[in-house]
Amino acid sequence: MVVSLLLALPATLGLWLVSGGRGLPLRVARPLAAGMAVATLGLAVAVALTGSEVDRAWLPELGVHWSLGVDGISVPLVLLTALMGVVVTAHAWVEVPSGGTPATFLGCLLLVEAGALATFTARDAVLFLVAFEVVLVPMWVLVGRYGDPHHPRARTEAAQRFVLYTAVGSTTMLVGILLLVASAGTADLRALAGGAGAALGSGTQLAVAALLVAGLAVKVPVLPFHTWLPPAHTTAPTAGSVLLAAVLLKMGTYGLVRLPVATVPDGFGRLAPVLAVAGALGIVWGGLVCLVERDLKRLIAYSSVAHMGFVVLALASGSQTGLQAALFANVAHGVVSALLFVLVGGLKQRWGDVDLAVRRPALRETSPRLGFALVIGLAASLGLPGLAGFWGELLAVYSAWAPAADRPRALLVTCAVVAAVGAALAAAYALRVAGLVWAGDRPDPEVRRTPDTVGVERWLLAGLATLVVVLGVAPMLVLSVTADAVASVGGAR
Amino acid sequence: MNPWLLVVVPAVASLLGVAVRRDDRIAQVVAVVAGGATLLLALVAWISQSGSVTGFGPALPVGELHVPLAVVTDPARLAIVTVVALVATAVQLYSTWYLRTDDRYGQFAATVSLFTAAMLLVVVSSDLVLTVVGWELMGWCSYLLIGHWSRRATARRAALKAFLVTRVADIGFVLGIVGLAAGAGSTDLRAVVAAWDRPTQCIDSAVAGGSVLGDALTACSAPDARLRAVLLALVVIGVLGKSAQVPFQDWLADAMEGPTPASALIHAATMVAAGTVVLAGLHPLLEDSPSARWFLGVAVSVTMLLAALLAFAQSDLKRMLAWSTVSQVSIMLAAIAVAGPGTGPDAGLLHLWSHAIYKSLLFLAIGWAAVVGGGTAASALRGSGASTPVLRAAFLVGFLSLAGVPLVVGGVSKEHVLSSAWDGAVAADGPGVLVLVALVLTSAVTAAYSTRGYLVLTAHVRQRPSAGRVPATVPGLLWVLVVLTVFGGLVVLTGSFAVHRVSLFWLLLTVLVVGVGVAVALRGGFDRDPAEVLARRFVPLADRGFGVDVLYRRLVARPVLRLARVVAFVDTEVVDAYVRGAAVATRAAGWAGVRLHRRERPSAGVGLVLGAVVVLGLVGVLAWS
Repeated sequence: MVVSLLLALPATLGLWLVSGGRGLPLRVARPLAAGMAVATLGLAVAVALTGSEVDRAWLPELGVHWSLGVDGISVPLVLLTALMGVVVTAHAWVEVPSGGTPATFLGCLLLVEAGALATFTARDAVLFLVAFEVVLVPMWVLVGRYGDPHHPRARTEAAQRFVLYTAVGSTTMLVGILLLVASAGTADLRALAGGAGAALGSGTQLAVAALLVAGLAVKVPVLPFHTWLPPAHTTAPTAGSVLLAAVLLKMGTYGLVRLPVATVPDGFGRLAPVLAVAGALGIVWGGLVCLVERDLKRLIAYSSVAHMGFVVLALASGSQTGLQAALFANVAHGVVSALLFVLVGGLKQRWGDVDLAVRRPALRETSPRLGFALVIGLAASLGLPGLAGFWGELLAVYSAWAPAADRPRALLVTCAVVAAVGAALAAAYALRVAGLVWAGDRPDPEVRRTPDTVGVERWLLAGLATLVVVLGVAPMLVLSVTADAVASVGGAR
Repeated sequence: MNPWLLVVVPAVASLLGVAVRRDDRIAQVVAVVAGGATLLLALVAWISQSGSVTGFGPALPVGELHVPLAVVTDPARLAIVTVVALVATAVQLYSTWYLRTDDRYGQFAATVSLFTAAMLLVVVSSDLVLTVVGWELMGWCSYLLIGHWSRRATARRAALKAFLVTRVADIGFVLGIVGLAAGAGSTDLRAVVAAWDRPTQCIDSAVAGGSVLGDALTACSAPDARLRAVLLALVVIGVLGKSAQVPFQDWLADAMEGPTPASALIHAATMVAAGTVVLAGLHPLLEDSPSARWFLGVAVSVTMLLAALLAFAQSDLKRMLAWSTVSQVSIMLAAIAVAGPGTGPDAGLLHLWSHAIYKSLLFLAIGWAAVVGGGTAASALRGSGASTPVLRAAFLVGFLSLAGVPLVVGGVSKEHVLSSAWDGAVAADGPGVLVLVALVLTSAVTAAYSTRGYLVLTAHVRQRPSAGRVPATVPGLLWVLVVLTVFGGLVVLTGSFAVHRVSLFWLLLTVLVVGVGVAVALRGGFDRDPAEVLARRFVPLADRGFGVDVLYRRLVARPVLRLARVVAFVDTEVVDAYVRGAAVATRAAGWAGVRLHRRERPSAGVGLVLGAVVVLGLVGVLAWS
């Protein structure tokens, strides 16, 4: 029951804020939304602890159930999403973008959160798909209406591209899910993962896996389906970018684990080499683009492509180590990119743009707190041990080096080598940014100083940075939660 | 005592240091007390503990791979831990004076604590993942410390270069570690060694029993020797990067842009020497793999001589010390490269131990001398070492030790390296002969530049410079290090390092070689800089390190950036083109459809009517018949 409440509360308030309550003034709407986000976080913790679940017939004619629940794989993501809900609603004290009423903005944030929570808790393939799609609409509003006010045309284009591109992906996935459900005779994800999917013929498995992987690859995003991400990130408001990077991309990787990996392992196994190559190429591709990209927000978007490459590579390895690596890297990227986007959003608010070609006073000199948070984020991005990024990436390289027995070993070892090279590229682009933004000459007293972070923004940055350190020092917090569920997925092979 | 304490104390100190960085006084107390506590813990453990003690870690549940994350201490490791803690404490104490007016002292002290924790982690690690953790953290700390004075463009560049060069080499390190762990299914050092070790006894008995070698290898399930050699070579590549060996040597001299205490820490006890510790841990595998040892041996032989020659001709004495570090680290690694089956790697560890003491002494002394002389160039430093007795003593003892004169700490350890190189040269496999030749030549050159350093620093100048006002801690610190440099060689008597006794022959040979080097350096008399006399033309070239920096830029940086531009272009103009193409095609189809409908409406209507008439007619005809 608690799990239904977990979805219903943010969804109800969100719907009301975008419809009846859209005229609500900021000073009322903001505490309301933030309070709801905090309550949702509390519910998420309760769900994670109690393992609450619900299972009702929803569309009995189609055999679709209103079936929600969590396991080790979804708990970290549910908590991450609820936490990001708090982060983005609290960020409204820092910045409320223009483009519509503040209440609508906050409502959209809550709707995205509710949709993502539904995606991560759904135990029915059709329900999963519905939740997956629901997120698109409020996100489209966030990018298209509340995006960068300086470039209305780019905003519309980015929003349209985001919606159309991901909708094409979801349609492909829809076909895949329908094929899977129709041929296996059940939409229950647990039954599908428990053998109903693996029992399908090898041709069907391959077809299902191909459709699902192609559809989800857009959301992750996997090279070469990533070109919607940079424009969406660049134009989205800070809160939108945070949700996009920390929640929406995770839905893609989560979908990959839940659907093709768990339900049609043999079909996925045959596609795995392609996915591994795409992942490894994505790591290097993203890293290289970051070396010359001028817009800092775009740069971080491309670095997301690289980090997601590690996740995909680990998934493709087919081993339990790979699955653990993927799930950890997924959560780690969520936290790190949230930190970086809050930070860069703040810089954009201060500077008007984040063009790296424009020389500005060094952050280390003018605003040491912002500078410190930036250095933590960049160091985590380059995979420094002791910070969140390290474990997932090291284990991803390991899992590619030692893949499951049915994977082409030589190819995956090559991918591991490429991934390791990509890790060095990550160092190069992270330090490039540090050199341009963080370190610099003693500032000219005539030039206006970049104001340092205060108030809510400071606490958000401090909290996210602490989380990055905690996950880096104690990775077992996540790994031990996911371990059992991963073993059962691995056992389905 | 739980070995984890040795790592946790400085790590907590760095966290605390970040928290209190605003207040210099509290930051000083935190840094120095934590350093002292670590040193005390290490000493107590070293003295009281005889066998090895394991500190169990929080094992990571990561599927098939076993990651115990354990640490271990034994006498040799504890000796290294002690010297690392000693140097770190010395550096912390010294920087309370050296950076007393620096507005970012707090960050510096916290970073030094983290650096110490990372190095200690590498030393006590018995898990390859923990080794990687410490290894990479040290790289990051070196970036922060070298770039501490980030208002200077040269410091920023040096920091970037140091991190990127070592990180590129770490591609090899990480892959090697991953490969070794994959072969064992575990990252535990003992499990890895057991999995990759050559089962010599089993093979020998099988061969003696009359079976062919190939069958014996299969029967004993021996690991793939070729793969093992490749993986070890990959690890060695990472070590060459962190230790600034050829072809990665150029970053270390530039790293002199960092504050002198940071240089002392990086050179004496941590980062550059860490490779020795890692390879010593993997020595059971290296001893069975002559190809990997050859790879290491060639690289360090070239490096030790090249770096010694460069050191001799530097116009900046701090850079001279930097190149001397490169050369000395080659000597440590050489001891591991030559050590075949039966000879342990402890001669290299012993040299690490002694190098830590005398190199920290030299760096801390030259930092003070540079304050006196107003710069680190040889011309500025001329005579500044003579300003006070403690500096003169420090330079005398430090350079004697660097030159490898017998009985002082550097001499003792170098003789052990020489003797194990001799053992290696006598044994058939491995790079023993090459290393031995390089060692003898390098010893002579080292003696020459040590003489040069001492001559320049203590030269008689007309106006004797004043030593300035320093708190008593600094001279006190230097005296302690002087005493340790003179008597530190006695550590061989503790038995912490498994080394043989050295025969008198090596003592005489060393004296001879050092004598030759000193004599060459003294050709121009006592008053002139030997580099001016012997290598005047060579100095500008040496200052640029043979222009290797240009090579790095031309061969690596520029092609990568060019590729990056191509990729960025392809990304927007090719990969994204099909997306835009889809949009354009859809719009075109829509436009065409609209046009078709609007223009053709009358004719379409006529067509429909005509078609209906034809169909009706046909139906009628069919019905009629």
